[in-house]
Amino acid sequence: MNPKHDHDDNDDIDIDIDIDALLRQSFDGPTPDAGFCDRVIQQLPPRRRRSAWPLVTGVLIGAVMCSLSLFSSPLWRAAWHGWLVGAWSSSTIIMLSTMAAMSLLALGWTLAEADDH
Amino acid sequence: MADSAAEARIDQSLVARALLGDDRRAFEQLLRRHQGMVRAQLCRLLHGDEAAADDLAQETFLLAWRKLDQFRSEARFSTWLHRIAYSCFLQTYRTKAWAARHAEDDGMEQLPAPTNAMDLRLDLARAMRHLSSAEQAVLLHCVQLGLSHEEAAYVLAMPLGTVKTHATRGKAKLKTWLSAWHEAAGEERVP
Repeated sequence: MNPKHDHDDNDDIDIDIDIDALLRQSFDGPTPDAGFCDRVIQQLPPRRRRSAWPLVTGVLIGAVMCSLSLFSSPLWRAAWHGWLVGAWSSSTIIMLSTMAAMSLLALGWTLAEADDH
Repeated sequence: MADSAAEARIDQSLVARALLGDDRRAFEQLLRRHQGMVRAQLCRLLHGDEAAADDLAQETFLLAWRKLDQFRSEARFSTWLHRIAYSCFLQTYRTKAWAARHAEDDGMEQLPAPTNAMDLRLDLARAMRHLSSAEQAVLLHCVQLGLSHEEAAYVLAMPLGTVKTHATRGKAKLKTWLSAWHEAAGEERVP
């Protein structure tokens, strides 16, 4: 507070106007509660639980997209054979990594969409 | 500064309690701690319309409750609330031409010169309405609500440089107008 503005309201205005002090003085401060909080608390809806559907949808969409894009590729067949016989060939690792990456991308997208709604 | 950090820690722990345990009492404490300043912010933005400010404040806190998991502690909780409140204000009133209805139609030159400190305060409030809406918002948040320029930039979603420019220009305009009135009042008092 600027002391030069703290004296009687009927005193003459100081010629050197301190805008910051005047603005602060003209601000009444926080509004008293007056039952506001109780009204808001009564209106609070139950919190939404994050549902599992974005995760499941994301993984499924990612897996389907990956399968479709790699279906005609020899890499896919080699990876599939490797997977069936339990051999971790480089093509199997590439296939699983690609599927995981696409699933994560699709998961991110569905989470963003779920937040928007 | 230490008080501010302690307050921020209390807010963060209340947010964590409200989120993890779905604790309404923790949110109620947050509400009681911050409702006063949020309502004061909205009341100022709405030029003293307390009923409309309370409606928007209620909407703000309901939105904060729904979006609490999106609070990232990158800003103080109070600053985050001010941002939601300002966003609600813009969404509600930008399309309603509310400002046009409430704008005073008298020109600056028609305002009488203030003769004492109380008049000066009243005329300060009227002068504030003649600033651009951006200048009013910046001065409200930076000077009256006590936010830093960075926090005001976050709340108002403006670049930091723009906030500083609006603050400087707004204060300069107010100073010029109020000085002119003071000089006019001084001339009137001279016999």
